[in-house]
Amino acid sequence: MHRTATATIPADETLFEVRGLTRVEGEGSLRLRVRDGAVTEAHLEIFEAPRYFERLVVGRTGDEVLDIVARICGICPVAYQMSAVHAFESLFDVRVTPVVRAVRRLMYCAEWIESHALHVYLLHLPDFLGYPSVVEMAGDHRPAVVQGLELKRIGNELLAAIGGRPIHPVTVRVGGFSRLPSRTELAALRPGLERAVELAEATVDLVAGLTPPVLDRAMPLVALRPEGEYPMNEGRIVSSEGLDIAPSEWRTAFAERQVPWSNALQARTADGRAYLLGPAARIVLAGDRLGPRAAAALERLGGAGRIARNPHWSIAARAVELVEATTEALRIVDALAEFGPAASMVPWQPRAGVAAWSTEAPRGLLFHRYDIDAAGRVRSAQIVPPTSQNQAAIEADLEAFAPSVLDLPHEVATARFEQLIRSYDPCISCATHFLRLDVEEVTT
Amino acid sequence: MTALQPPSIRLLVCGNGDRGDDGAALAAVAGLLPTLPRTVLDRVEVRRCPQLDVTDLADLPDGVSAVVVDTAVGIAPGQVVVLPLRRVARSGDGPAPYSSHALPPQAAIRLAANIRGKLPQGSFVGVGGRSFAFGRPLSAPVRAAMPRFRRALEAELARLAER
Repeated sequence: MHRTATATIPADETLFEVRGLTRVEGEGSLRLRVRDGAVTEAHLEIFEAPRYFERLVVGRTGDEVLDIVARICGICPVAYQMSAVHAFESLFDVRVTPVVRAVRRLMYCAEWIESHALHVYLLHLPDFLGYPSVVEMAGDHRPAVVQGLELKRIGNELLAAIGGRPIHPVTVRVGGFSRLPSRTELAALRPGLERAVELAEATVDLVAGLTPPVLDRAMPLVALRPEGEYPMNEGRIVSSEGLDIAPSEWRTAFAERQVPWSNALQARTADGRAYLLGPAARIVLAGDRLGPRAAAALERLGGAGRIARNPHWSIAARAVELVEATTEALRIVDALAEFGPAASMVPWQPRAGVAAWSTEAPRGLLFHRYDIDAAGRVRSAQIVPPTSQNQAAIEADLEAFAPSVLDLPHEVATARFEQLIRSYDPCISCATHFLRLDVEEVTT
Repeated sequence: MTALQPPSIRLLVCGNGDRGDDGAALAAVAGLLPTLPRTVLDRVEVRRCPQLDVTDLADLPDGVSAVVVDTAVGIAPGQVVVLPLRRVARSGDGPAPYSSHALPPQAAIRLAANIRGKLPQGSFVGVGGRSFAFGRPLSAPVRAAMPRFRRALEAELARLAER
């Protein structure tokens, strides 16, 4: 059900209502109220019905939870599985083998490759090149579209090799995997990953030629920061304002709250401020952990400072992370070739307590917390996806951006709002495809 | 010595066997393939695709036809349809994708057409579905339609194999 702009508004106000974001994973709209040239209200309204996953997992064991939470998202199921499995293993004091740890990181690389390739090429690039969607863009920019599809396919194939299928993988288990890929299967991935590195580098070249809309603002950034590697499954939660807590301690610094205009809970800092997660935050807060090729790519794209201050330039952050994920995947595949046959699981025993962990989904920090009984079954759950944490930042950035486009024709302003919303790669029910926005201006 | 001919049909089998009527295409193809005459079977490349993906159409060689077989919504449960892909591509409100993470079929076909420079040849063979719940069997109307669904697919494959 889409809302309509029927409310009576004062004569000195302008209402921009972006209704029924289409081709969106989930349902949402944008509502901007302007008075005397200043934004008085900027709401990302999410009216998709609640999905009740936090209730669905109650009474379930850890392994059952892994299969259930994967269903939250078709693009980032690995993220949901990884946050959950690390939470359970943290509580149960499970020490997985180095091979299992490496394969989990490889699995996350696969997800980043397919997710970032999808967003950069199929969702975000049409905005920069002036097309309503990739369908129209393909006619004039065939090589770019083919490049993006090839990169996405390599990510999907890598994930299928580890997880059994490219969407909603089935092999992740508490203590390891139900099945590890053989060395032969891993070796077969190598040519594809070599090609993926080439394509990721080409992505950087492509993005280097783009010009983002101007927006310069400061937003607190939050990401994981591990020792010695770029963040995925491990690390401490750090922020641009000096926060430094364990990945299980999210609730000590952040809190969810209900807002009247959204069915998704919004997360803010404990003192009520918006903050931003995702590739830009990771680049800024853990850019020194990038491998040499990704670090060079970041330099080519103007460095972390530009990414930190202009959310439109998140496409550059994703391009850099494509280089990181592809080179890291290749490194892991080569490293695994040195190992002999490895056990896919280690034994474990459940225990009562709180299982909590955060990992880095493609769109940012994903926090899971489970209250577990002595049999290892979930008594209650809290799942905090990146988009629920980014909502407030999106609204704040729309408010900051709006004055620069308010004087433009509606269709131009619409396109600018659209592009800004898309730059966060939001998952409303957990992701956004390209949007066709309908902006209505009402003056009385 | 027998000279093998390259496949002239790419059979794209869509759906999810875990989800009630969404498994109809899988069931139809599984039942049909062992019964196909060698002259047809040798011309068919079978690809399993949970949902229609542009990459399965974009690299379709010239002279090869795609047959997309799937459950459809928007038609009566159990109704069997055979449509040219060009007609599916033209529809403004085509069948809904199984996940909104995927392009709708008409958008996937149009995108493939723009990448290839021309529309992929071929057809869509579908059966109307009623229930897509997890762990459920085929619904009664779809079960009843399965012989017709298989015959329609068989006829389409035979027609394309003769070209």
